Amino acid sequence: MGKYILKRLGYMAIVTVILSFLMFVVYTMIPFDRARAEVETLKNAYKNNPEGFQQRYEELRKEMGLDENIIVRYFGWIGVAPINGKYQGLLQGDFGYSYIHDRPAQEVLVEPMKNTIFINLFATFLALGITIPMGIFCAVHRGSKRDTAIQAGTIIGYSIPIFITAILCVWFFAIVLGIFPVSGMKTPGSNYTGMKKFFDQMKYMALPLIVMTLSSLGGMTRYVRASMTEALSMDCIRTARAKGLREKVVIYSHAWRNALIPIVTLVIGWFLSIFSGSIMIENIFGLNGMGLIYINSLTGKDFEVVLLLQMFYVIVGLLGNLLIDIAYGFVDPRIRVNK
Amino acid sequence: MRKFSKVLALLLVALLCLGMFAGCGEKVEKNENKVILGNVTELSGDFRWPGFGGSSAGASDQDINRLTTGYSTMETNQNGAYVWNQTVVKEHSEVEDENGNLVVTVEINPGLKFSDGSEVKAVNYLAYVLAFSTNVSVNAGHTGMSGQAFVGFDSFKAYVGADVEVKGATKEFAGVRLLGDYKFSLTVSKEAGFYPYYYANTYGAVTPYPLDLVLGEGVEVKDDGNGAYLTDAWYKKAADSTAETLTYEKSEHLKAARYDVTKYAFSGPYTISAWDESTKEVTLKINPEFAGNFEGQKPAITTVVYVKIVSETQLDQLKNGVIDVLANITGGTDTKAALDAMKASEGKLAENHYQRAGYGKIQFECDFGPTMFNEVRQAITYLLDRNAFCSTFTGGYGQVVHGPYSPDFAQWLAVKDTIQLNSYEYSLASAKKVLEDNGWVYNSKGEAYVEGATGVDAVRYKKLTAEEAAACDGVNKTYTSVANTDGVEYKTVKVGNDYYMPLVINWFGTTPNDVTDLIGTSLANSAEVTSAGMVIRSTTGDFDKLLGEIYREESYGYGGTPTYGMFNLATGWNSAIYDYAFNWSSDPKYFGYSSNKFFDPDDAKYPYDITAEKLSYADALAAAKAAGAENLGMDYLSMAMVYNAKTEAEYNEWWKAYIEKWNSLVPDIPLYSNYYYDIYNSKIENYKTSPFWGCADAVVYATIKNAVEAE
Repeated sequence: MGKYILKRLGYMAIVTVILSFLMFVVYTMIPFDRARAEVETLKNAYKNNPEGFQQRYEELRKEMGLDENIIVRYFGWIGVAPINGKYQGLLQGDFGYSYIHDRPAQEVLVEPMKNTIFINLFATFLALGITIPMGIFCAVHRGSKRDTAIQAGTIIGYSIPIFITAILCVWFFAIVLGIFPVSGMKTPGSNYTGMKKFFDQMKYMALPLIVMTLSSLGGMTRYVRASMTEALSMDCIRTARAKGLREKVVIYSHAWRNALIPIVTLVIGWFLSIFSGSIMIENIFGLNGMGLIYINSLTGKDFEVVLLLQMFYVIVGLLGNLLIDIAYGFVDPRIRVNK
Repeated sequence: MRKFSKVLALLLVALLCLGMFAGCGEKVEKNENKVILGNVTELSGDFRWPGFGGSSAGASDQDINRLTTGYSTMETNQNGAYVWNQTVVKEHSEVEDENGNLVVTVEINPGLKFSDGSEVKAVNYLAYVLAFSTNVSVNAGHTGMSGQAFVGFDSFKAYVGADVEVKGATKEFAGVRLLGDYKFSLTVSKEAGFYPYYYANTYGAVTPYPLDLVLGEGVEVKDDGNGAYLTDAWYKKAADSTAETLTYEKSEHLKAARYDVTKYAFSGPYTISAWDESTKEVTLKINPEFAGNFEGQKPAITTVVYVKIVSETQLDQLKNGVIDVLANITGGTDTKAALDAMKASEGKLAENHYQRAGYGKIQFECDFGPTMFNEVRQAITYLLDRNAFCSTFTGGYGQVVHGPYSPDFAQWLAVKDTIQLNSYEYSLASAKKVLEDNGWVYNSKGEAYVEGATGVDAVRYKKLTAEEAAACDGVNKTYTSVANTDGVEYKTVKVGNDYYMPLVINWFGTTPNDVTDLIGTSLANSAEVTSAGMVIRSTTGDFDKLLGEIYREESYGYGGTPTYGMFNLATGWNSAIYDYAFNWSSDPKYFGYSSNKFFDPDDAKYPYDITAEKLSYADALAAAKAAGAENLGMDYLSMAMVYNAKTEAEYNEWWKAYIEKWNSLVPDIPLYSNYYYDIYNSKIENYKTSPFWGCADAVVYATIKNAVEAE
């Protein structure tokens, strides 16, 4: 097992290097000159000194390493080659600079990441807490009226885009009924602490959470139902029932365990996605999360932030795949990795 | 027991009745002495020095800065003009020294205090000018240009500490003098071209900062008689400093201090009591030490909360009372919705509006292609019904202007009755006439243009002179239409020895953009343009690509050959300072300042010389005519406006001539100047904004009706 994990980690390192290079090349090739963009804001300051303006532009290009070729710049970004005589890349803990926010890239990401994880964790637990029992219920009562009703409901939920659900929920719950705030993350001007702060935050998070949960119900419920239906039709289940086991034991100990194998991929995937924000939800509800910062960085051509984010997601994705493979082994001993 | 119950019931009923009677009296609704401002622009925390010397500061950050920074020697008033701050300045003088420099001497009132109670002194004003004129600040990401207008800037900036010898560097900043605890002077340099200058006295506008904020620990501002300077601790090198790349310890201090809102005092009407980076919200509390702004105005609202809102639901937040002020609402749909909400609120919401100091525009490239000809630009202006365009785009909440001005400018108000501007009323006949007068009378074979012809002959052609064909490195000889979606490619043709250019304009617009869409339907694809014998070819892309084409910057995706003659974008002014010097210069080193690449032939005949005698408008015009020019050129007018004018009357005379000439040349077509609406809770009184006076300024004058302090 240890060997297997080490081998996989080795592969991951290679994939990370290749992907980082590809991403760096792609963003470097986009026609945009950060030095020019920065110096343009100084244009008026240099109005009486156009030569100084040009000189500043050239200095900035040098400082940013833009005069170097793409390979040197890549190695500089990684931190294995010097830029302007200094090693200042990822390996040295320099994760780049956000020119939109005028501060180090990692500082820009801290607060949005906290917010995103906070809301996604709640949404994931809520969604799993509803969909798994509902999927099992539908599979067990397959063909019943309640199953049909849930199936119809999940198809509708699955088909409606999240922004439509969000807008409808805002209109109904926040504007018509006035139960929840329209947007924001806390009562403006409040300086609550402790539980009061938590409840205030939850009041503002409730509507986005409801929307996120509603939107994810359909897919997972149907997935669990399908997987469970297949498991319930297995010979071992018939045998278990023939042995006179209680129905609960049959369903939760035997069928559910067999149904888990495909579901575990999805569930772990969900937990890995707690790091990525939803552009739609964050925009509509005014949340300061990863989705918003990602899209703002892309449109603002703040590529060092984008690269850092993408590298983070690459690593999370690769680790997630490893985690899923290991989890398979725990769920199904037949595919446990011993070497 | 039963009796007791009856008495208790009676008492309760009596109490209830008493309560009801009490309620029948005049009920005065009490409001917390607090205002919540909503803005769709995100706060970044860059409140101390937004943009850090550049011009890319966020609007919200600037609002917080205005609310927390005060005591500048000069401040902008409601009309955007710089005025001396009567609360701060005890005395000031502006005199020319023997070298022709302008010496601005300022004495401040004693007793002014920062929010921590420490006194504001002359050193607090000079610390910023000195520190942000050194390479220490450049290392921290600042421009390091704060003192560039003053005598001795270059040699002071070159100084990097006593431990490093730099030729010509001086420790002292000769043009910045500390003359006492409350007195200092700033000498505006003639040699560096900052004086004479119409707005030269605004270089005397300096703001005080706490010394520990700007300089950190261990640095002093001194003056031994040769100019103010910072003690050598300012220039102490950092551990990673090398001979090739100098780095400084204080650069790190500046980087950290820039975002610190808790450690250092404030000078403005408010102090920051909380900054929540997670929710992007700032809470400001009144600064009891603040002595007032330039009019002596102190704030009355004790708490100001500034929050980020979502544009799609901002009005609902205002209606629900989550926020109190919604500023800068514009555009037909949003304005109408806001005004409808105000009407439906039965007096709970109020509004304040003003015309934006700026406009949306079509901008032309004037050095190549058909748009290099004045008459083509005029024809396009005639072919666009600007009143209808403005009405459609702004929903009726906007106006058309006929030049680069705001109707709120003092100079406009001074000349508006005498200025003569062509309003270019929508007219196909006028468009055809100016085109024909300019020689757009041929087809692609060099024969007479026939209206209604098809293919490449659907447009007019002009026979180019040798000079016109050679313009812009000969690009006109190969001028070609792009985005040929109908399969017809128009290009300059050579007939015999002559070049004939087609009347086809390549237009680049950003997308998604409502203005781009509207130009498409109301101009580019209109029947009038076709009837005039013109084609406008549309290409869309992102804003950086547009900038790349305008700047002709290959790193922004510019292909190396000028292609587009027309763009749509917007422009505006933050203050009443109106300075377009160098924007019309034919000197290649100022090329980056020229939005239109228009080089006026009148300037070629009678160019402006900044070192020559400063003529009055009448004398300059006479001299230009004597030199064979029809009029003064755009470069001359724009330069003389700020470098020749000494009085307001002289300035206005130049300004009027500049606007008139601009209007005749139409390097841009102003499309719409929209109204901005501020909708706010009517509990707020005395809330007045203007194009140059935003919500941060208005809050200082505003009060809350029946205000009570929160417990």
